[in-house]
Amino acid sequence: MQNKFRGVMQSPVTPLKDDFSLDLPTFERLLDFHVRAGAPAISWPHHKGESLNLTIAERKLFAEAAVKVVGGRVPVTIHVSALAVEDTMELARHAQEIGADGILAITPYFWTPTLEAIEAYFVRLCTSVDLPVLSYNSPSYLAGVEITGELMANLIETLPNFVGVKEASFNSEKFLEISRAALAMRPNFSMLTGVEFLLPSVPLGGNGSYSAAGSICPNLCNELFDTCVAGEWGRARELQFKMTRLWHLFKDQYPSSLKGGMVIMGRPVGPTRAPLPTATPERQAYIRTQLEELGILDSEPHGW
Amino acid sequence: MPFEPGLVHTPLTPFSNDGRIDFDRYAKVIEFHLRHGADALAVPMHAGESVSLTDVERRQLIAFVVERAGKRAPVIAHVSDAGTGIATALAKHAQAAGAAAIAATTPYYWTPPPAMVLEHFLQIGSAVDIPFFVLNAPEDMAGAKINADLALKLIAKLPNFSGVVDASLDWQFMIELMTSAPRARDGFALIAGTELMVSAAAIGASGMFSALAAIAPKLARELFDLCRQQKLFEARARQEDVAALRQIVKPGGVAALKAAVRAMGRDCGNTRPPLLPLDAAAEKKLAAAIGALRALADEPRGW
Repeated sequence: MQNKFRGVMQSPVTPLKDDFSLDLPTFERLLDFHVRAGAPAISWPHHKGESLNLTIAERKLFAEAAVKVVGGRVPVTIHVSALAVEDTMELARHAQEIGADGILAITPYFWTPTLEAIEAYFVRLCTSVDLPVLSYNSPSYLAGVEITGELMANLIETLPNFVGVKEASFNSEKFLEISRAALAMRPNFSMLTGVEFLLPSVPLGGNGSYSAAGSICPNLCNELFDTCVAGEWGRARELQFKMTRLWHLFKDQYPSSLKGGMVIMGRPVGPTRAPLPTATPERQAYIRTQLEELGILDSEPHGW
Repeated sequence: MPFEPGLVHTPLTPFSNDGRIDFDRYAKVIEFHLRHGADALAVPMHAGESVSLTDVERRQLIAFVVERAGKRAPVIAHVSDAGTGIATALAKHAQAAGAAAIAATTPYYWTPPPAMVLEHFLQIGSAVDIPFFVLNAPEDMAGAKINADLALKLIAKLPNFSGVVDASLDWQFMIELMTSAPRARDGFALIAGTELMVSAAAIGASGMFSALAAIAPKLARELFDLCRQQKLFEARARQEDVAALRQIVKPGGVAALKAAVRAMGRDCGNTRPPLLPLDAAAEKKLAAAIGALRALADEPRGW
């Protein structure tokens, strides 16, 4: 199976109307914007897409829209993680039915599963669909639950459609533990990081990331990736430091601040569902000052 | 004048069978490191069982290494302690003994809030004129860690605060630090606190502390040189060799390091209590794993 999941892949936010219901026309514009702005792949709905605050029916509806609007221009993966594993299985089958190119799933929420339970979960998921499956490792959000190098090797050995991992520990040793195990067995494995942390991960075998700020600065995302892959480390450092300043700006009340920033960029996508707050006009004004200071308003597309 | 530590070896402390520092053996240890690629030495780090040495022993040890190293390599004295006054006195002694720099981590045991950490470092740093490096080692220090804000406060108040030795391996912290600290202080150094240097070097690290150099000095040197030349893709294979070696010794801590150097023909005795030596079966298993590691084929055996 060929690796089509590389580069800074974009995961759109979920546009909402003022009454917090789904805003389908704006979602369609946003998907098209990401593709036109150079996204190498689309993935929805990540946590920044408020996945856990959407019903399963809503997730299916927008998943269908994503596949349809992108229309094969780039691969589309569906994030199927849900609190109930049975819902995850349902979303995975649905993703296959609608013609998605792959699915992404985090280690199960809440229960702090053992390594055996994580393995059983991924085996069940991967054998229930024919699609490529990407896993997602996020120990700092999941009470330390994480995929070890040994577990990664077991999964790769037994599951031909287990093609990648989003490794979001942001830690040299943990990334290396998994990349070393995975790439030795499957050299085209998608060894991804989160939040555009490309500078520290690409030299360890990383070949991309999902994006946090891509709806604000798609050009910066793509330039950072190209610079890292070319080994232009001095330039890559400058770009990574800028990218990380944006991460610090948006990670406070993520993704509310991101939606607030999109207003500034001429791409409003509405409020954020509770319990997450919605960015206030004051917060938006502050975000504007930061985007100005970083030169984002000059270097990135405005409007749709 | 900026002090560039380069590749810093952090030697083990050899003990005799009755538990005393074996200074004859220690002299051999120091010679070994100086002949096998150390740009500088840092003593006694946690790998050197600093916490299990008495105050008098730490002073003796630092003076001994400074004298042995002579003009061949600068010595960084590790002065961490629980009590600020004790650490400060150690720092003064180290400077008087001829150390080139000092290094310290957060105070032991007290789970210090940020204000306490800042005051601790301010007192230690201002006690000396030589460069002062702060160690960020949350895994060793029950989660106590440094952030970029603390570094900026130290830069504002301490003219000799020269950099952070990072063992957290945390990309977000390192990037945040290197975004702000070098702007506030010329020559501010990020130093990799372990041999996992590739990502740190991408972010801008210029130095590396290495305990594994006691086992594999060639590996440490080659990895460091590639990182310094920013040959980061080329460094990946050696970085993976380091990861393989760390996987073998990390679970057993300093006892495993001592078993590993014994397997390499450089016996440094056993650990001091409360650290227990590996039992015979575990030591045999570790020696076999070290022997089977192809990456160590060219490493020196014996002294």
